[in-house]
Amino acid sequence: MNIELTSVSRSFGKNRAVDGVSLEAGTGVLGLLGPNGAGKTSLLRMLATVLPPSSGQIRLLGGDPGRTADRRDIRRRLGYLPQNLGYYPAFTVVEFIEYFALLKEVPSARVPRAVAAAVERVDLGAKAKSRLRTLSGGMLRRVGIAQAIVNDPDLLLFDEPTAGLDPEQRVAFRALLRSLGETSTLVVSTHLVEDVGAACSEVALMDNGHIVFRGTPDDLVSRGEGHQVGDAPLERGYSAVLQAARNGSVAA
Amino acid sequence: MNDDADHPGGIDLGRVWTGIAAEVWRRDPGPVERLAVRLLRSPGLARALLTTPSLLLPWLMSTVVIFSVGAVISLGGGEPLVWVLAPGIAAVAIAYAYGPGFDPAWELASSMPVSDRMVLLVRAVTVFAVNAAIGLAVSGLSYLLTAPATPGTGLGHAAGRDTAAMTAAITFGWLIPMAAVCLLTLAAAVITRSAGVGALTGVLAWSASVLASRLSTGAFSAAVTDSRTYLPYLAVAACAMAAIGYSTRPQRRTSQ
Repeated sequence: MNIELTSVSRSFGKNRAVDGVSLEAGTGVLGLLGPNGAGKTSLLRMLATVLPPSSGQIRLLGGDPGRTADRRDIRRRLGYLPQNLGYYPAFTVVEFIEYFALLKEVPSARVPRAVAAAVERVDLGAKAKSRLRTLSGGMLRRVGIAQAIVNDPDLLLFDEPTAGLDPEQRVAFRALLRSLGETSTLVVSTHLVEDVGAACSEVALMDNGHIVFRGTPDDLVSRGEGHQVGDAPLERGYSAVLQAARNGSVAA
Repeated sequence: MNDDADHPGGIDLGRVWTGIAAEVWRRDPGPVERLAVRLLRSPGLARALLTTPSLLLPWLMSTVVIFSVGAVISLGGGEPLVWVLAPGIAAVAIAYAYGPGFDPAWELASSMPVSDRMVLLVRAVTVFAVNAAIGLAVSGLSYLLTAPATPGTGLGHAAGRDTAAMTAAITFGWLIPMAAVCLLTLAAAVITRSAGVGALTGVLAWSASVLASRLSTGAFSAAVTDSRTYLPYLAVAACAMAAIGYSTRPQRRTSQ
């Protein structure tokens, strides 16, 4: 298992953003669904080793991110796309991705080819020498995806990766997700259920800091049978599970 | 987004193109970066050092301008005010080199194997060194032009060992308070994870120190010229270093 969480919680003051989450995930694409404020981003930040948990145990790629030596190794094998990608406006696309390739300790001799491969993979070759300040929101999102995959990671964490992408790019991105999920563990946080249906092999649904459902997209669809809220089968499943969780019958 | 490569005639065109693109887009590091790679033994750390906001051209230009203004003011007032201004400038620069409020890619950088602690320390040392070089040059000039025309100290007699002694005094008097304020600023920025709080702390602490010196001796510049202040500055620096070390210590085990 590349991700092993045991009773992980994270509080910010009196607010418990993540509350006793236990989760395991191996190779494949895990969609992390949930309404705004459910705790998805906090959970992803803990998986990215940016945020330590308030309590509980985290093991990533077989190591303990709380130990310096393990954490460094985990981070070398990690790709992370935060919800708000900060960037240096004066950097070109290649400079930005190269910068993070170096920070990820990709061997110097391999960096140019790794950067070129990542840029091509997100279809930004035509903009490789463009400054980031000249790019659209969707292109910047793709730059963020490229920096996340530049080190060929074993664990990838994407927070709202399709935000800002146009429909054509989203279709292409889902294909990329499926491809990456063949060899790595991907956790994709999103509130777009269609992304989950198209790209994820498993789904975890969060609400109020808890995981209230874990299963395949088909399992989620089956939970929505007979439920009236939602336009698509997955949306009905999403809505049914949330409603059940809020009524007190957590259906994990 | 390209994911599959065509293989006409057994040639992986995608792979060939990636190789070409890698060569076309390759950016060779400049001499400063190559030197930094050699010194730091880490290409990532070297690149991080050279992309820090504090090393951007505007910061360097503003530093030179502020030091120059200080030198001009010193000429009029007869006190080496550059010494007084310098620690505050360095403090602000270091505070703004770190933190989610200023470094746009801070969260991403926090998930990298190149330790943000090392990046922080290297940036701090670099800011300190650059400021020291600029400040020392301008301070020396300022002192030479404002020193009283008595034998052995004025512009007309600043030669040989007198000049060396004066430079040493400037260096010692300037670097110790500067180090203390820089480290205090850094500690506040690291603990609060806020560049703004760090900068404010550093500037307020230095202002208080200058004012206190003014009240006790009647001269603003006593904060950097009075040797009795060296020990308190060293104590502040040591405490700040301990606080930085504690705040950036490796995370403990995740279980409670």
